[in-house]
Amino acid sequence: MIRRPIPKSLALALGLASVVFLLGAYTLLARWQHQKNPDDTTIPSWSQIRQGLVTAIEVNARTDERWLLEDAKASGARLFAGLIVGVAGALALGMLMGCFTPVEAWCNPPLSLLAKIPPTAALAVFFVLVGTEGEMYVTMIAFGILPTLAMTIFLAVKEFPEELQFKAYTLGASHAEVIWTIIFPHVLPKLIDAVRLVIGPAMVFLIAAEMLVGSVGFGYTIRLQSKLLNMGVVYPYLALLAAFGFAMDYALYQLQRKLCPWYEGHRS
Amino acid sequence: MKVEIALECRGIHHWFGDKRVLGDVNLKIKRGQFLAMVGPSGCGKSTLLRAIVGTHLPCQGQVFLFPKDHEAEGLAVAGPGRDRGIVYQHYSLFPFLTAKENVAVGLMLDQTGIAFRTFRFWKWRKLRRDHLKQAEDFLAEVKLNDAMNLYPHEMSGGMRQRVALAQAMIMKPEIILLDEPFGALDEATREESQQMLLSLYEENQQAIRRGERPPYTLIIVTHELNEAIYVGDRVAGLSQYWDWRKEGFEKCPGATITYDKAAPVFQTKSAKDFTTFTEQREEIRRVVFEPSPPPDRREHVVYWLTNGAAMPSDHAAAASVVNPGEKSR
Repeated sequence: MIRRPIPKSLALALGLASVVFLLGAYTLLARWQHQKNPDDTTIPSWSQIRQGLVTAIEVNARTDERWLLEDAKASGARLFAGLIVGVAGALALGMLMGCFTPVEAWCNPPLSLLAKIPPTAALAVFFVLVGTEGEMYVTMIAFGILPTLAMTIFLAVKEFPEELQFKAYTLGASHAEVIWTIIFPHVLPKLIDAVRLVIGPAMVFLIAAEMLVGSVGFGYTIRLQSKLLNMGVVYPYLALLAAFGFAMDYALYQLQRKLCPWYEGHRS
Repeated sequence: MKVEIALECRGIHHWFGDKRVLGDVNLKIKRGQFLAMVGPSGCGKSTLLRAIVGTHLPCQGQVFLFPKDHEAEGLAVAGPGRDRGIVYQHYSLFPFLTAKENVAVGLMLDQTGIAFRTFRFWKWRKLRRDHLKQAEDFLAEVKLNDAMNLYPHEMSGGMRQRVALAQAMIMKPEIILLDEPFGALDEATREESQQMLLSLYEENQQAIRRGERPPYTLIIVTHELNEAIYVGDRVAGLSQYWDWRKEGFEKCPGATITYDKAAPVFQTKSAKDFTTFTEQREEIRRVVFEPSPPPDRREHVVYWLTNGAAMPSDHAAAASVVNPGEKSR
């Protein structure tokens, strides 16, 4: 039957089986490729992947640096800075738009328009406006996620029941308190949900920009090693990106549960 | 004994574009009174409540409150304020606060500001403890000791409404407005909630007997006529069905008060015998809900004529506006 619930244990077993299936399929594919060409690096064997990981972790004799560490530091700093600026800007803009109709009338048309432009397509504009240094990555991520996030927050504020707003006034709240003490806590879990959703796109913007103009970072190394067909390094990098994205998502989910324990029950 | 007026609606008119919603609504409510407001759907009951709350001021006319320091002249309502509490049918509580926090939030908003809570954190923490203690006491009063730390979604509809009432009561407002508070409750829970209102009314009576100000003045808007007569000591009917031509209007000015009479007072422990007010219920239905207007609504808007003997002289003149012959256009 459609949407019939299954036991938790069965759901867990199915989830694990899908991962085992993927790993097994990859192992077979790599073995089949290496039977055709024992020196193949496009579909590396597990030992080649392990070797690639070691290369990325060990101190490189030529550069005297650990690639992975340097890339993680550079990409992480850019991503977090971009996310912080984007989320803060979107929060301020979305709250103001939702609370004050003149701000909504002023900002809604350009924001709706900007939200439709893929930031990766506008890379050249960012290069021209803010150069190709660190600021460019931050600006690109911030501008990339801001319209979507701001619109999400704006809509969440608009959904806030006016009865609760009136009630807050009858309890002695000032306008600032209605915004900060009453509306913001109501919007916070939706903001966290929205941030979880934009982490993926933010990583896409970052990797794309690093591939084009970076001299360090995940995007730069992936592009360089791909050109050398050194997929034994590329695949661990991709796996790390996936793990990082998953960890961020999980951390935000836990943050939401901690800060907004009421939300899940209220939503259901 | 001197009658204190808690609230007066004087010549309230409200319209949205060409649509006339309220026309010449006049209402005076005694302190300690429980006024039940009934009326057909769309007659403007919520508009009138919003005018009293101050979130949507009337297009014409004014609402006055008579707090202790402005007993004679009254204070015109110019916007929402902490002197009026409100309980809605839906969205009665802040979903992100527990029952205790919901009740305490009013004290927090009233007594502190964002700057105090941010920069004088330790003092705020101490005050917060006091607020939560007071909230616990109020919740205990409405028999919700077990629900202190529950979020609204974890409570039943009846519990939520009781917490919402405690949230309004803790502010000690001049008047508490209930906008169809029990509309979504099942019969048993509804009855329980009505009993709670009756117990508040009894507190009022006890205060009056002791020579004190009655603590609760209340307007309850309801669709349920039995409930109106049961919990209110006075029932007012707001209706768009009235003979406005006869009263000198050229076009319908909107709904007005077409019924205003005292209702029997019930005790919490007394049996709920609906047959005792069948006659009044039928009269309200005929006068307020029937689309054919009554020949003369003056016959049914008589609360102050039959209960006005105790009115102070300064209010007696104003009370005459309740009589529909004198309009404030």
